[in-house]
Amino acid sequence: MTLYHFGNCLALVYAPYHMAYKFSGISEYATFSKCVYAGGLYILTQLCKMLLLATFFPDSDNIQGGEYDIFLEILKATVDLADLLGLYFALNSIPGKGHAKILTAAIGWASAEVLVTRSILLWVGARGSEFDWRYVRSCAESNVALLQHASTAALVWLWTRSDLSRKHFPIVVTLLAISPYKSLIEEAIASIFSLSAWALLGLRTVHATAIGLTALAMYAVLAQQIGI
Amino acid sequence: MWLDQADGFAEIFKGYLPYYLLVVFPIFIIMSPANPVAASHEFSVYRMQQYDLHTVPHGCRSASFNLEGRSLTSWSMSRHCVVARIQDITIDQFVEIRNKAGALLLVLPKNDTMLTDEQKEHIKLLEMAMMQQEISAPVYFAEWTPDFEDIIKDLQHSFITDDKSGTALEAMFNTVSSNGYQIVVSAPNPQKIDSKPVTIHGKLVGRSSTPQTIVIAAHYDSSSIIPELSNGADSNASGAVAVLELARIFSRLYSSVAVRGGPSLVFVLMSTGHSLNYFATKKWLEEQLDSSDASLLQDISFAMCLDSISSGPLTMHVSKPPKAGTPAQSMKSRLGVPLVHKKINLADELLAWHHERFSIRRMTAFTLSSLQSHKDPSRSTVLDTPSESSLKTLIANVQVTARALASHIYNLTDEENTEDSELFDDALTVDESSIRHWYKYLSSQSRAPQIITTTTNGGVSGALERALSRYMEVSLGAPGVDRREPEYALYAPTRALLYVYSVKPAVFDLILTLAIIAYLTLVYFVIQFFPKFYEEYAKVITGKVKIN
Repeated sequence: MTLYHFGNCLALVYAPYHMAYKFSGISEYATFSKCVYAGGLYILTQLCKMLLLATFFPDSDNIQGGEYDIFLEILKATVDLADLLGLYFALNSIPGKGHAKILTAAIGWASAEVLVTRSILLWVGARGSEFDWRYVRSCAESNVALLQHASTAALVWLWTRSDLSRKHFPIVVTLLAISPYKSLIEEAIASIFSLSAWALLGLRTVHATAIGLTALAMYAVLAQQIGI
Repeated sequence: MWLDQADGFAEIFKGYLPYYLLVVFPIFIIMSPANPVAASHEFSVYRMQQYDLHTVPHGCRSASFNLEGRSLTSWSMSRHCVVARIQDITIDQFVEIRNKAGALLLVLPKNDTMLTDEQKEHIKLLEMAMMQQEISAPVYFAEWTPDFEDIIKDLQHSFITDDKSGTALEAMFNTVSSNGYQIVVSAPNPQKIDSKPVTIHGKLVGRSSTPQTIVIAAHYDSSSIIPELSNGADSNASGAVAVLELARIFSRLYSSVAVRGGPSLVFVLMSTGHSLNYFATKKWLEEQLDSSDASLLQDISFAMCLDSISSGPLTMHVSKPPKAGTPAQSMKSRLGVPLVHKKINLADELLAWHHERFSIRRMTAFTLSSLQSHKDPSRSTVLDTPSESSLKTLIANVQVTARALASHIYNLTDEENTEDSELFDDALTVDESSIRHWYKYLSSQSRAPQIITTTTNGGVSGALERALSRYMEVSLGAPGVDRREPEYALYAPTRALLYVYSVKPAVFDLILTLAIIAYLTLVYFVIQFFPKFYEEYAKVITGKVKIN
């Protein structure tokens, strides 16, 4: 039965990615290799980030019961700005129209993330005879992550455009600037209101949807402008 | 550029990879370990006592199980492991579990001292009932932890029952919301272990030419339903400590020829007691009496056994009332204790008291004990733990015994002058710190036969031997058990690791599949309708209709 449960979790993770790839129309551009390329960039970015963290930040995992150092956490999250850089390179190397670029980069990026961060956990965790809602939740979270990466990619793409309207520019920059800290903010809110793990997931979904809709609105305006 | 080749690479992915995966994936699944995740709960648990006495099996006969955990009220068949607090389970419930359930896991009380007297009495009776027959299902005991408290509460309020729930919806809700527990113990099958019961004895040679001998004996093992937790403070750390202290006092008196007493004193410590029918005593007596050069036990004046002497004033147990003028009668009057007479019943499985082993060999013998009856359940219980008040009683009882013995040996009467009496007091003072030290040491560890008769040259036996050898020359006997017709057999393992997995019923995964399918369908339609939504959305945002 546990293998069956693993199958359940796998379906929950994999199917939305597959559907996003197949039905969004980008598969027509034969961009599978571009997805792989974006995924490769993701892994490279993570390696660079790890190098930075390991070199410049104290090893906080081994300190037991230490105080939660908010400043250190913020500094650590700042390193996630490198993700934006990685996404920027991914977008640059993908030819095609705006929406294809964005979706390809986002799907490649998010798939690589799922593969690297969640597959081992799932393989080890969901197949055990121990049941925990954590694995189902983690699978659902990876779906939200796809939405999140798509909106971040859209924002990065908007930022690269020189023809972005002037009044939108500050919004794009602000949203991009806070994007590395999103998980910190969400966790802070969850701990303030003492939300359960499922409520935190809901909060993440709402947050990702809101940012996604904002990015979509600006994309729509720009698309209208340049006629794509 | 390698990026161009990547498209060819992608073709490989599209064309062949799925078929390769069909082969590779099952191999991967088969090769990876069956249970790769550690359980969220892992406990060290103690297995119930298991032994054969005269080839009659006692205790729990199996060790491993993998069953669903249930509470006392919701279990129903042999595929369930009953989990309960030891103070909650009644004897009737236990009998039913013994006959039908798959396994039993009992959680010990959080704190012995918090128990009421009725609860203590109940646990003792339960222990007796459990030991009376063999039980084929594995029985384990666990020390109290907050995790166990949670698991027990969860099981008690669980909705998982075999009864039909009201409606299908209700049943579905129950399967999603409730937690089940799979309880797993993987231990080796119970195996007989090599047991060599040790007897430690030493002799203080007396003055008189007619070699009268007094034997002072105690067993130092303990028995309870959990071998690993048999601390046995009263039964019989107290007796062993008393023998050591008497040895210390009389070795001082016997060290100078001027004050040496008449009879010789033999101090004996045996490693198997009432739970194994005083096997070590029997073997020791055979060895000393039946061999040709037997000189140790010639002309026994009496044998004094000390058993459980820390819970109150002493009582003298005999199998034959002592006649007037005999040494035993003299000891009784000097101790000033009540006499309890019980004839030896050889038809019983177990001898009642330690002295009966000596009485069978036609020696005058008696047992001093605080207990009124040999059937007292406190002789073999896990609740027999050390306490300050028992230590006080023990010290007083050792003092009384030492005085009585000394006054018997030197044949003193009450008409002594005070000066002599003070001298006597001085010579016979018990060393409280030494008693305290030995009492703490012996009762701080488990001294079940499984533990003390299997470790050679060490452990409790070694410590006692070294202690006794400070006062006299000590010799050590370790007779083996008869190979063909063993008097007793002990079994290991005595402890194991228990894993508790929280699980969901099988139907739950099906319901989860349905939920995921519903969710994925929703995602599919969202993606399908996204272009339409985008158009409408763009219209709202820009206020214009898209031109192309």
